Amino acid sequence: MITVEKLHKTIKKRKILSDVSFTVAQGECVGLLGPNGAGKTTLIKCMTGVLHYEQGNITFHSKPIAEHKQAIGYLSQHTDFKPWMSCAESLRFFGKLSGLDAAVLQEAIPAVLEEVGLKGKESYKVEQLSGGMKQRLGIAQAILHEPQLLILDEPVSALDPIGRNEVKKLIARLKKRTTIIISTHILDDASEFCDRYIVIKDGVIAGTIDSQLQQADRKQILVKTAKTPPASGIWAGDGVAHIERLSPSAFLLTGTEQLDLKKVVNDMDA
Amino acid sequence: MTNFYTLTRTELAEAAKEYKFIWLNLFFVILGVTQPLVHNYMDVILENVGGADGITIDPNRPVPSSGEVLLSTISGQFNQIGLIILIISFMGLIASDRNSGMQDFILTRPVSLQSYLMSKLAGHWLISMFAIAIGAIVSYGYTIFLFGSFSFSDFSLFLLMYSLWILYVISLAILISTFIKGPILIAVATIAASIFFILIKGFNQLAFQLSPGGILNVAENYLLPGREVNHFSILSCGMFIVFNLWLAKINLNKQ
Repeated sequence: MITVEKLHKTIKKRKILSDVSFTVAQGECVGLLGPNGAGKTTLIKCMTGVLHYEQGNITFHSKPIAEHKQAIGYLSQHTDFKPWMSCAESLRFFGKLSGLDAAVLQEAIPAVLEEVGLKGKESYKVEQLSGGMKQRLGIAQAILHEPQLLILDEPVSALDPIGRNEVKKLIARLKKRTTIIISTHILDDASEFCDRYIVIKDGVIAGTIDSQLQQADRKQILVKTAKTPPASGIWAGDGVAHIERLSPSAFLLTGTEQLDLKKVVNDMDA
Repeated sequence: MTNFYTLTRTELAEAAKEYKFIWLNLFFVILGVTQPLVHNYMDVILENVGGADGITIDPNRPVPSSGEVLLSTISGQFNQIGLIILIISFMGLIASDRNSGMQDFILTRPVSLQSYLMSKLAGHWLISMFAIAIGAIVSYGYTIFLFGSFSFSDFSLFLLMYSLWILYVISLAILISTFIKGPILIAVATIAASIFFILIKGFNQLAFQLSPGGILNVAENYLLPGREVNHFSILSCGMFIVFNLWLAKINLNKQ
């Protein structure tokens, strides 16, 4: 569905992304995992067409991503709408920019507000909303035009536990009907709904983790590393009892008990 | 076109929410009224504020013409303190969108950079010209009442030409906004660049012909005929506006 090939991005002579390549298939929910400053937001901004990149290709259904803006819903890291607008006005604004006409918006706005749990808040000004409500409004604007791909940049990082929970439940519901790419530096935030993780460190892909396997049996994790072979002694002390090499870069890690995904991710070299 | 219309409408709605249509208009009305009143009642004002000791006002001084008064009001007051206030009022035109993340939201929609930049230009030009036109019309009323009649068509043509200068200044602010993040710095740089383009037209004939500031001479000639005028300035000003927007687009595209 979306393919990123050999992407390079430099900002003020500093290399932010280097040779980044991956593919996300239709219906997948993929977590972009990495510490702060790893290049996740830059990668997302390149994918949404906000940032220009020097080298590489980003295609959506084999066509340049810029031709498919209509098919993408995006929530930025810092959700800050026009504070004087009401929830309904904000959605009308973004809906119109997405090419939806007034008649469609008339029906779509109440429906989407209900979906994100903001029913009855149509007339509330953005400045009156809590952090969690703003984030849900952000998701509402991202799904209003029913995109095929939803890109969420750190959607829960800045929220309190209650707001975090609300937004996580909402994303888990959206996962059933759309492809999602979600960036986070907190693994626990993504572990409830991601099928796969792409680990990014210092602007390069460190590897991928198939979390479906991890969720089915928390004793096993399928890991694909970018470095082949990975550093010797990697994952030692992470509770990994056995490493089965499936290919030069794919490893099935088996633990004596539930594996700590956080430790496995941390040990992956960039 | 729909996106341009939606974005421009939002700019105007935001200006209304920030009461710009009140305080900016009020400011230009005060500027517009003050100059003709001061010109006409200078001796009375001096007397009322403690007399004119040490200052001699020639009772036979020539009474300025309506055109001269309008020129000193609009080209003088409006284009100095008025322009500074205008620039301060729109210094955040792109910076605030960028700093709040709104620019990212807008540009991930199927919105072209041209539509985005043109909406900023059109929105702020309409806000500025609304205030300037109201201030200028009030000033025109006071001037013809106190100093005699003046052709309204010439006055309108002056405003039309002056609006091109305002369009140029806004395009300059847009361009500078794509380079600088801080609103205060954007305002200072735009004010400095505008002053530079006003001054440079007096350097030599080539600068006079090429500087977008030359449009001010074209405008002022409608108030006080006889000034050196180069109608190529209209084209040059238009070309500079297009150039500023083009450069701003390239710069935003690069980011």
